Order: sequence, then structure tokens, then C-alpha cells
Amino acid sequence: MNQQQGPGGGNSSFLPPPRQEMEYLCADCGAKNEIKPREPIRCRECGHRIMYKKRTKRMVQFEAR
Amino acid sequence: MPDGSRTRAFKDTFNTLSRESAFKQPGDKGSTVPILNEFVAPHLESFNALFDDSGLPSGDGDGRGLLSLGVKDIGDRVVFDGLGQPDSEGASNWGNRLSIWIEQVSIARPMVPEKDRQAVERKVFPTEARERLTSYRGRMNIKLCWKVDAPGQSVRSSMKDCGLVPIMVRSVRCNLRSMSSADLVKHHEEPEEFGGYFVINGNERLIRYLILPRRNHVIALSRPSFTNRGPSYTPYAVQIRCVRVDQTSVTNSLHYLSNGSAMLRFSWRKQEYVVPVMLVLKALVGASDKEIFEGVMMQDYDNTFLTDRVELLLRSYKVFSLSTSDQCLEYLGDKFRVVLGLPEDWTNLAVGAWLLRKLVLVHLDSSRDKFRMLLFMLRKLYAIVSKSCTVDNPDSPQHQEVLLPGFLYGMIIKEKLEEALNQIRAQIAQDVRRQDASVDFFTDKYMQKVLSRVNFDIGLRMANFLATGNLVSPTGLDLQQASGFTIVAEKLNWHRYISHFRCIHRGAFFAELKTTTVRKLLPEAWGFLCPVHTPDGSPCGLLNHLSRTCRIVTSPLAVAHIPSLLVSQGMTQAFTPSVDGSQNLCVQLDGRVIGWARPSVAKHLAASLRIWKTESKNNIPLDLEIGFVPPSEGGQYPGLYLFASRARFMRPVKYVANGKDDQIGSFEQVYMDIAIKPSEIELGVSTHVEHAPTNFLSILANMTPFSDFNQSPRNIYQCQMGKQTMGTPSTAIKHRTDNKLYRLQSGQTPVVRPSLHNTYGMDSFPNGTNAVVAVISYTGYDMEDAMILNKSAHERGFGYGTVYKSHIVDLKDIRGANKSTSAPNLHFGLGHDIRLEPEEKAHSCLNFLDRDGLPFIGARLSPGDPLAAYIDDTTGRTLFDKYNGDETAYVDEVRLLGSDAGDSELQKIHLTLRITRSPVIGDKFSSRHGQKGVCSQKWPAVDMPFSESGIQPDVIINPHAFPSRMTIGMLVESMAGKAGAMHGLAQDATPFTFSESDTAIDYFGKQLLAAGYNYYGSEPMYSGITGQEFAADIYFGVVYYQRLRHMVLDKFQVRTTGPVEPLTRQPVKGRKRAGGIRFGEMERDALIAHGTSFLLQDRLMNCSDYSTAWVCRTCGSLISLGYDDASLEELGISHARLPKPTGPNGEYCRTCRATADDEDERTRRALATGQNPEKAGSNDVRIALSAQHVLGRQPKGGDLDIVAVPYVFRYLCAELASMGIAVSLEVR
Repeated sequence: MNQQQGPGGGNSSFLPPPRQEMEYLCADCGAKNEIKPREPIRCRECGHRIMYKKRTKRMVQFEAR
Repeated sequence: MPDGSRTRAFKDTFNTLSRESAFKQPGDKGSTVPILNEFVAPHLESFNALFDDSGLPSGDGDGRGLLSLGVKDIGDRVVFDGLGQPDSEGASNWGNRLSIWIEQVSIARPMVPEKDRQAVERKVFPTEARERLTSYRGRMNIKLCWKVDAPGQSVRSSMKDCGLVPIMVRSVRCNLRSMSSADLVKHHEEPEEFGGYFVINGNERLIRYLILPRRNHVIALSRPSFTNRGPSYTPYAVQIRCVRVDQTSVTNSLHYLSNGSAMLRFSWRKQEYVVPVMLVLKALVGASDKEIFEGVMMQDYDNTFLTDRVELLLRSYKVFSLSTSDQCLEYLGDKFRVVLGLPEDWTNLAVGAWLLRKLVLVHLDSSRDKFRMLLFMLRKLYAIVSKSCTVDNPDSPQHQEVLLPGFLYGMIIKEKLEEALNQIRAQIAQDVRRQDASVDFFTDKYMQKVLSRVNFDIGLRMANFLATGNLVSPTGLDLQQASGFTIVAEKLNWHRYISHFRCIHRGAFFAELKTTTVRKLLPEAWGFLCPVHTPDGSPCGLLNHLSRTCRIVTSPLAVAHIPSLLVSQGMTQAFTPSVDGSQNLCVQLDGRVIGWARPSVAKHLAASLRIWKTESKNNIPLDLEIGFVPPSEGGQYPGLYLFASRARFMRPVKYVANGKDDQIGSFEQVYMDIAIKPSEIELGVSTHVEHAPTNFLSILANMTPFSDFNQSPRNIYQCQMGKQTMGTPSTAIKHRTDNKLYRLQSGQTPVVRPSLHNTYGMDSFPNGTNAVVAVISYTGYDMEDAMILNKSAHERGFGYGTVYKSHIVDLKDIRGANKSTSAPNLHFGLGHDIRLEPEEKAHSCLNFLDRDGLPFIGARLSPGDPLAAYIDDTTGRTLFDKYNGDETAYVDEVRLLGSDAGDSELQKIHLTLRITRSPVIGDKFSSRHGQKGVCSQKWPAVDMPFSESGIQPDVIINPHAFPSRMTIGMLVESMAGKAGAMHGLAQDATPFTFSESDTAIDYFGKQLLAAGYNYYGSEPMYSGITGQEFAADIYFGVVYYQRLRHMVLDKFQVRTTGPVEPLTRQPVKGRKRAGGIRFGEMERDALIAHGTSFLLQDRLMNCSDYSTAWVCRTCGSLISLGYDDASLEELGISHARLPKPTGPNGEYCRTCRATADDEDERTRRALATGQNPEKAGSNDVRIALSAQHVLGRQPKGGDLDIVAVPYVFRYLCAELASMGIAVSLEVR
């Protein structure tokens, strides 16, 4: 599965990926939370410790057979 | 013919709208279905009883919880520092005396740890424990006190943290306690959530009820195994299980010896001890021989059997020559001092007294009461020996009670506390023994040091107990088993879930018993244990379910005033010296002799008590059990036994005498006449009448419609299959993290259902679909319980189901995770090695995974697709967790799980995968009458038969399913369903409502007539293929069908070739490993009998361990193959000798060549030395000839052949060779 191994190979313009934050939903209060990678899992509103991933915005299409 | 065009006044009997609104807006006061809270009450109340603020009535006690009572019973532990000087008497040179005890125990509600400052809601709710896969626990603290027994020393104390103890959901320590349905839904629970279980690592586990011998009641036993206890032991004994106020118990037995005396048996730390009963009688009250004689004889001097035995009893005791109480206590103390481990400064007298207090008849406080009870036990023992009364049946519910979850929990906590206290003492004693310089009882520093070395983590052990069900205990808690106490409350469907809370097990010990007597259904169990709802197979009759109305008493009752009340009604008091035992019956209250009464008086007392308790006069509690055993010839030992203790079975019935509600127990029920229906009451005979004739059935058995029409085993099967149905497990599926959930998408409320269906709110959790069923042999694909599904019905969603599976990725547990440091080295996310753009060159995992390394919700997964990506810091690579199922699944939910205090980064995720399971050929379905079948075809709708109104069946079943199974209930359901569907009625299918004069057939037949159908439910039908009318009318109606969870997709197992066992090269077994199904010996026999040798060869050889091997034609060996490298010969490395015989590729037989070489050598040597004169003589002519050209000479060792043999045979030859056995094959 992992064909492109090695960090960038010979690519000299090696940049750390942006610490992209993702939006999650708190399991308790339902608030939207933006959590960056390696940040603690905690709701900013209520301090709850479970997050749900949001449903994807991408098109999800299956053959209905 | 009905056309459905008529309009008429419509009354909704399904309550669809009210149910919908109750579901949309659950009540904010109380519960939607209150009865669901009632049936788990024993679980909850027994757990609540642990605490001082239990909310239960206080009864006779001070209302303190079991933990407080247990801590009080533990008492203190004493150590000496050995620093004292021997005083003038030289008696106490032990030094300073330190006593340690536990003052109080407290368990808090589950809370967010103090570390977490951000959390707004400080309470933890069960849903968080479930979703985060942790345990629902509250902190336990104890106050530990110690004091040096020296003048001027005060009590010092320390609070010790005992860890986090699992808390029962909805108990008094749960944050969901007394929440309304609306609040429960807010906290992500069912609106009907009733609790009673623990959440351990995200699983719901509960402590199962266990049957125990009835407490504080003497039962007479006769077991042949008792004779093995020692010389002169007989099979006879009486036994009593005594229970202390903190619900811990001690069993005392009194064994009859063939010399007429008796031995008292008890156990201490799993070790059994026997003491002559005379010694105990004397030690208790210092009774004189005369007192004992009179106490046992009770003026029955004519009974020579008794006088002889008592005389022997008294005589045999003379050898001890101990006459006073103190002498006996000192003797006992001296003997038991070593095992009991009591303070060293106690006298033997004190040790003996402690022994009697803690181990003999512990339910009684006063020695006099114990003495009286022991005398009663002796009398009962002599009575069974003389056969004037019979032995009691310990398998009968009459002599049984229930081990309640909370009580067991309390017992374990008590024992762990005691263990901790003992550890402290052992720790200090060890320090003293080693003459550790730091030992100083007077400073807190030393004590803190000792306490820090003792393991106080009781919470962890309780969690371990609940997670495994194993009891780790030094005393065994007076129980017969050490494992199997807890079970998972599987939410497979609602029926199965609620059954867990009502199931009651006989005990693991009885499961391995060869005899089946314990499994028998006894008439005594009527109304307490359901006769229908028990699994078939190995746990049959051992795992029962409580009847619907059966209660278990959990609250203590106030009965202290009863003895004086009874005395005022004519009972002779217990201390009266001259009571005639042959004329009087013993009156006992909870195993305490409270008086004596003549049979007529006792009967009157029992009747008065019953009137008083039903009319709540004289403060007699309704849950008092009044067991009046009348005198009989060789029957049960008579007496008036009153029970007010907890953990008893009770059930409501109506008392005929005053028409009031009564609660009866399993002991007293045996002596009652209970009419099933009011019409069956016989004047002067019936004492009680049932509230409803269906009360003896469990909840599940009550859900079977018209179960009174079915043959009884079919109802048993339905109870099994109801629990295996794909139904609606929960209404909060989004918040569930169960390993596997089955869900039926198109659940319906049954048209035909008993009225209890509504009472228990079953409509919230539909378990099946109403199907139009034709009973006809139509396609030939419906033989042997196969059924045909209408393909169009299937396409409209009939029986469509879903399986939800949990998948957990915990980076902490993954290989390569760094466990030593606190900072994790694995993180969810995509690393630099994953190419994100341009889109066409992006890494393939991006079809499934988002930028955070977690899957998109709704992603379709095939086997091997990535589920999550994580970066390894040490290598910088991105690794994947892959989907390893073998079906297509969809990601339904992704949960990111934080840590307890919400202070650590993402390390654990929980994925809910959804697997669609549309019905396929081979899936199992069943009606509610034990009629299961497998779908054999999905028949096209155009080819299905149709009725005159054009209705096609959803399901076709074969008529042969009925004659032998006699499930008339299904036929009635079919009619009732059809009529109900036509009239829009929910049909009441409660059993025992119809009679011979008012038959169900007539009732529903008339409804069918009114709807324009045939009275008997059959209709003319037409073939869907030819269009011709069938010669016979077809039985056609509506039956509720369940889809069972056994599906072919989980079961099919096929292979041609595949993985093999490395040793034998035979196919491996197991579906998971792509193994085969064993083609065993009996199957082989069948093929041989058929003469199908090619098939035999194919199965047992070609598809199994086919192999070819070289066999030596000379010696027949399979294992002696060797190779000559031909290339070496050509190079001339082999010396001038002739080439040795080999096969075409240089193979040869090593043994044969070795023997040939040997022989050759010997011949040469013989020739050289001339030892063979006759040959030597004719040795003149010498011609050089190549060995190959010499005729008749055997090619020694070179004659090999290839044969096909099973590989395992070669293995066998090698194994035999290792034992020095040569296998020789004859090759022809």
C-alpha cells in the first residue's frame, strides 16, 4: 500500500506539512472544535473528552446495486 | 371478497401516535415504561444496600450500609513492637500494643479527576465510559485508625485512597440515579434505561443471580459422600447457612456419627474443622449434662431412640473431662489459636469465645440463642436418623434463596479491606521481627511508611472481578465456585438484553455433575422460576429465568416485635424449661428459636400473621414469609418458620380469605393451595388465587402469542430464538460501542401480541416483521424447514438487516509504540511520505483517509483498505491500520477518544463499521412458535401463487412443518393476524384466555368472516406459473417473522486448496484461517460403501496431503533416500572404484547400499585371506568385466521407484524409525 516511502526522497524542497487543523464535534455538547494534530482531545466549550469526526463534504456515491 | 373500501369508526389499538409522541418527547417525570425499572430492582437495591444512604427502609437495624457493617465486623488488628521489658510477673514482654482498624468506608460518584480543570460537567456519565471504552468508576476512600494501647495515647487516623471502584449504573452512586426519561435521552441513554450493570472497559457486565441454600434455616441432608469424611460418619447431617448482618455467611453442619453423637463442622479459610457438638454446647452457655439432656429430650422420655442417642452423646463427651464453659472455651482456644491469628495477648478463653462468636451460628448474637438453635439442630438430626421425618431437597426452591449482585460485591470489598488490614499487620510484624530500627509506634512517620508499602488498590481488584468473573479469595466467601460470577449483558436484541437481568444460575459446581436431578423442573418452582425459559443443551435446567412477577426481597424488614406479639397470641416462650417436644412445634424467626406452640396454636398463629400482614395490622411487613409445616407421618420436619430476611423469592398472589394482595415465598408456597383462576377456587381448600394465569411465565415466555396452543418444547425453542433474533437492540445506536450489534431495519410491531407486549414497552424495540404466509408445498424448494421468500418482498426491505462492528485502533498497543517514555512516538495523521497532490498522483490511501489520518465517514471499505494512518516519529514513515474483514463495510462513526483528564493527544480511536446484510439464500428465519427455517429461494413475484384478492405471500412454508410439531399457536396467529390486519386491530394473544366453550378458532374465524374471508383462514389460490386454481384451498394469513442472526455470510466454509499444517501437510481447520471441514472416518465409510473410489482418492489424497516419495524396491524403505551427485563423478573426484548403482538422477537407497558395501567388503576380505576354499580353488581364470555387464547381479541400493503416498504416512515412517521400527513397503 505504502509505495512512496521515505520522506520526500531526493526532494530538496522539504517542508513540514502545515499543522492543519480539523473540525470535530464534541460528543457531549455538540460544539464544533478545531483540533490540530498532537493537541489534546478536549472540548473547548465543555471540556469533554470524546470527539466525533464530522461527516465528509466529499461526494459519497456508490452504485446502488 | 374484501376490497377494503369500507370506512368505519376507527379506534387505534396499536397506540401508534401516542408511542411516537412518547418517543419524540420522552417524559420529563419518571420513566416511560415504569415496569422495566421494577424488574432490575434486586440488582440495584442490593447494590444500594452497601451504602448508609441506601434509601431502603432500615428495618430492625440502624439503617447502616453493608460496608459499614462489614467494617465493624472486621474489627481491629493488633501488633506488638517487642520493645517492652518483662515485668515482674513475666507475662507481657510483647511491648507496646498497637491496634489498627478501619473506621469508615466511602465510595464517591464517578467524577472527572481533579487534574482536569477545564471540564464544565464534573460528573462522569455511563455513556462516556461506554464510548471511551473505560470503566464507570467512583473513588473509594477509607479512614484508617490506629492507637497505641498506652496511657495518654490518642487515636490517630489517616485517609487512604482505595482506587476507583466500578459503580452500578442507576444505583445510588450513579450519576443517572432517578433521572427521567427525557434526562436519560439527554445523556445518550435509552429512555427506558434501567441500569443494574457495570461498565467495564466499555462493556456492560452484570453479576448474575446465583442460587444459594436458604439462609438461617436448618435443612436435613442425607448424602452417601458424608461417610467418606472419616470413621463412624454416617450419611446423615443437618446444615444451616448462617448469614451475618453484613450478608457474609458461614455454613455449619452437624454430622451424625454411628456411635450416636454428633460433630459440628465449619470452615475457616477454606479449611474444614470438626468439633464435637457437646464441646460447643458446653462452651456456649456452660450447660450441665442435665440441661443438655432435657433440652434434647424435651420431656419425650418414652422415645427410647432419643434417650439412647442422647445418653451416648453425653457419655462420649466424658473423655474430654471438661465440664465448665470456661474450660471448654480454653480448650477450643488452645486448639484453634494457631490458625485464627488473633492478638498474642489474648487468653485462650478469649480466643475460644471469639471462635464461637465468629464461626458458629453467626446469625445469632447471644450464646443462649445459639445453644437453643444447636439443640434444635440436634433434635432434627435425630429425627431424620430415626426416619420420623424426611430429608429436605436442597434442589428445591423451597430451600433456596438468591445471591444478589450487590451483596456479593459487598462481601468481596469487605474481604479486600480485611486483607489490607492483615497486610499492614504483617508488614509491621515483619519489621519487628527483623528488628528494623525505624519501628516506632508513636510517630506518624513510621506508620505512613508502613501504609505506603501496603496495596490498597481495591478498585482495581473489583474491576478485575467484574471483567473476568473470577473470585480471588482466601476464604472462598462460603461459595461453591470461584469463577463465572459475571456475564456480559449483550445487546443483541432487546429480548436477550432484558433476559440477562432475570436469569438465575444454579452454580458452576452443578454444571459438571453427572446426575440430572439438579436440572429437574420441580413443582415448588411454580411462579418463581419460568418452566419455559431455559436454554436447551448443557445449561438446561441450571440456567433459569425468574418468572415475570417473581420478586427478590432486598430491603430489611422490621420484625423485632413479632416474638412478643406471638407470645400474646399463645406461643410458649423459648426459655420455658418444660416444653413437651412431642406435642409442641418450634417457632423460629430467621433461624432463631422464639418459642414453642402446639400444632393447633401454631396454625392459628400462622393464620393470624397472614391476616395481619395482608391487612397491614400490628406492623407485620407484607414480605414476611410464614412457613407453617404441619406435623405429618414422616414428612418435612414440622414447625412454624418465619422468614424476614433478604434475598428471598417472593411473588404476589391474592389471599382468598380477605381478598387482599399477599406476597408469598417459596418456602410457604409448598403448604398452600393456590388457584390459577378465580373460577377454580375451592371453598375451604384454596387459600390463594393467582392475579393472572400467565404470571408463572418469564417475560420472554409471555411474549409468545397463544403459547397455550403450542406443544411445550416449541415454546422453549421460541425463548431461545427470540434471543437470537436480529431486532432493535437499542434506540441509542449512535452512542453504542458494542463489539457487534445486529439491527433489523424494517422492524414492525406484531399484529398479534399478548397484552404484556405493551406493558413492557416492546414496541420501542421491534423484533421482526409481519409477513403474509402461505402454508403450501409449492416449489419443491421448501422441504425440510426451508422457506421461500418473495423476491419482491425482499426488495421492499423484508428482513433487511445491518451489522455494526467496532474497530479500535489504540496506538499505545501497536507494535513499535514506545512504552517507556510518557510522550508517544506514534501519532495519527499523514506523514511527508504520503503524496497529497496532484490529485491523479496522490497516494491511494487518500480515497479512504482524511488529512488527520482517520477515515472519511461513509467510506466504503473492501478487505485490505486502510482504516487509519499514523506516523512513526522514529522512522518518519506513515503506517496504516487496515480493514481485515472479508465483507464490504462502511465507516459509520469515527470517535476520537481522549484520556481520563483530557490532557493527552489522540492515541485511540473507535470506528463503527456498518456491514449491510440483506437477506440471502441460507439465512435463518423463524416465526414465534419455534418454527425456524432457512431461506432456500428468493422466488420472483410473478411466479408466486396469488389469492383471489391478488395478494401474494411474502413467505411460503411447507405444510409438513406442522403435524409433528403441533404448533397450533402459529395457525391461530395466522388467522388472528389476518383478521387483525383486515380490521386494523392489534390482536390480544395472551395465553389462557380462550376455553373449550369459547374457542380461538371461532373468535378469529368470525372476524375473518366479517372481513369477507373464509372462516377457517384458508383461501382459494392460483398458481403463479400456470394461473390455474389449486385443487385445495391454501391456509393463508399473517404471521410475525423474526430474522435470526445466524447468517450464511458468517458461516460458509469452502476450499479446494489453501493453507496446510506444516507438520502433516494436511489442510488446517477453522473458518477464519480458510481451513477445510474434516472429511472424517464416518464420511470415509460412506464413500467406501458407495464404492466411489475416485471421490475417495480425491478427498483423502489429492485435496489433502498428496505427495510423491522414492521407495526402495529392495528394502521397501521410504526414508533412506540418498543422492549421488553425478557431476562429481564426471570430475573424477570419486576414486577408481566402479560407479555405484543409482537411479537415473543419482538417487539410491542408503541402507541397501551400505549393506551391499558391507557384503562386498566381507567377500573381498574372504577372498584375500582365502577363507573360502571352494571358491578359492576355482579362482584361476581372471577376466576383466565391467560390473554392469555381469548378469544376475542385483543392483544393490540403486533400485528405487516413485510412489504417491499421503505426506502424513511419510511422517509416520519417520516417527516409527525414531523408535527403531522399520516400515517396509512391498512394491509390485
